[in-house]
Amino acid sequence: MRIPLLSLFIKSPFSGLLEHVEKVIECVFAFQQAMVCHFEKECATFENLREKVSKLETEADIIKQHIRRNLPKGTMVSVDKFLLFRYLKEQDTVPDRVEDALDWIFFKPEPGIPEELKKDLMLLIRSNIDSVEEMRRMVLEAKKYFETFNETQRNMVKEIIRNIRGKEHEADTVEDRLKQKIFAVDSDPVSIFHLMRLVEIIGSIADHAENAADLMRAMIAK
Amino acid sequence: MSWNIGANDVANSMASAVGAKAITIRQAVFIAGILNIVGATFIGAHVTDTIRKGIVSTEILSDPHLVIIGAFSALLSAALWISFATWKSLPVSTTHSIVGAMIGFGIMAGGFSAIKWDKLIAVIMSWFISPFFSLIIAFLMFKFIVRLIISKEDAFIRALKFSPLFIGITFFVVILSFLFKTPLGERLSVSTPEALFIAFIFAVIFGFAGMLLLKRFIKNKENGAEDIFRSIQIGTSCYVALAQGANDVANAIGPLAVIYFLVKTGDIGVKVPVPFFLLFFGGIGIACGIAMAGSRVMETVGKKITTLSNTRGFCVEFSAATTVLVASKMGLPVSTTHAAVGGVMGVGLARGIAAVNFRIILKIMLYWVLTVPAAAITSMIVFKILKLVL
Repeated sequence: MRIPLLSLFIKSPFSGLLEHVEKVIECVFAFQQAMVCHFEKECATFENLREKVSKLETEADIIKQHIRRNLPKGTMVSVDKFLLFRYLKEQDTVPDRVEDALDWIFFKPEPGIPEELKKDLMLLIRSNIDSVEEMRRMVLEAKKYFETFNETQRNMVKEIIRNIRGKEHEADTVEDRLKQKIFAVDSDPVSIFHLMRLVEIIGSIADHAENAADLMRAMIAK
Repeated sequence: MSWNIGANDVANSMASAVGAKAITIRQAVFIAGILNIVGATFIGAHVTDTIRKGIVSTEILSDPHLVIIGAFSALLSAALWISFATWKSLPVSTTHSIVGAMIGFGIMAGGFSAIKWDKLIAVIMSWFISPFFSLIIAFLMFKFIVRLIISKEDAFIRALKFSPLFIGITFFVVILSFLFKTPLGERLSVSTPEALFIAFIFAVIFGFAGMLLLKRFIKNKENGAEDIFRSIQIGTSCYVALAQGANDVANAIGPLAVIYFLVKTGDIGVKVPVPFFLLFFGGIGIACGIAMAGSRVMETVGKKITTLSNTRGFCVEFSAATTVLVASKMGLPVSTTHAAVGGVMGVGLARGIAAVNFRIILKIMLYWVLTVPAAAITSMIVFKILKLVL
């Protein structure tokens, strides 16, 4: 059919972002399951869950590439294309870090997490996941904003961005407390190194969510 | 030829309204058919005149036999080229084809001097200007809507408040185009200020009547503002159909008019307006095309074009129709499709569409460069063959 008008329209990158963030959420939840499994001695499903996370990470990567490929030169996006790609990169780092954390555990599964640290580590995971969930809400509401340009909608996105910053701060506090505890609980240098690194990897998830939020703030700026 | 126009180009006007579920396909076919006839009959004379005697200098061609063959070959070759392009799914413009074909015939029949180059340059300039003009209108319109309506908290109430303005402007341009420099306007003997005044009064009346209807039928919901624009979009779709009838009828009727005048008066240089019935006949042809093939085209386009929300659709249609109608009044044959493309780009530049593929500009330029010579050469060949045969 000879309708040049149609070839003007390409898929909105925002629906791509949403698709990507859904995948990230799925990945983060699988990570949580894997960690819960690792906390228990005698966990059989850890390996399966690690594979699942790695598979989801790859899928997220494919979505990311797809979004980038669909916006070649000569296409115009309603936000700065550079910002969009930077944003996508931050969002895509989350599953990367999650995968790194599980790999790190895989390298040295023994002796596992000391009983005294389990509660705090779980708290750390929870607060980091919170920031990712907030990121998903941010994408959803921002997508609506770019459709209507409604001021109320824009304020809602700004509110979520503030939330994410708050959550990152929270996660930082938990991380610091946990690090102090690690030195108090453990005395084996190798275990300390292993736990420290693990906590840092997990703690970086909220940092990337915050980076993403900052970029989103730039995208919705008038 | 006019069947072709109806079958293919109707998608431009009605597709986004169908896609937005403002009207059904059957309604769209009906409305588009009627309005194309009306547009062709009442406003189509200017462009038809341009095709008839604006491109090929009729004074130079004195042999009536030659001219009949030429006009016929122009029509035939444009139809051939469009059929070929449709078959190959190349997005070519019917307008460009017929202009190209007329050039071809002109060169063959009377040499390069037979072409009115100054007039032709104006026509070609209009192909650059019309998308640009449409782009600017769409850009401003969308910015205006965002700034004053949809970005506000009470978007629905504001949309309702501004609706008479949008409806009014549309009616103003339409009524003005009916009264201004048309046989109808001359018969009623309205002068320019009078026409402006009448159009203004009607615009105000229709604008407020439209608002009352909207108030009555549309409930205030979360997406109320879009719903209002959905209803207004029915109006702008009609507007596009009308403008299209006015401009595109010339593509089919222009060469026919040449033959008609020759047979009737034996001379083509005369300054007689194109008769009503000829334009009406062209309009009917377009309507038949719409009725027979339009629904299929619209279905395809309507399904794909849902990315365009009602406010955006309104801006695109409004800008395209205004551009085409203004061009029609100036006697310039422009492409509705290109005006629509300009409109989409305008909304895109106003950041109204998440992603727009601007590379289409290059494609349009390419087909444009391709169409005119291709239709011209086809026309030359057909002319030669017919000359040998007849």
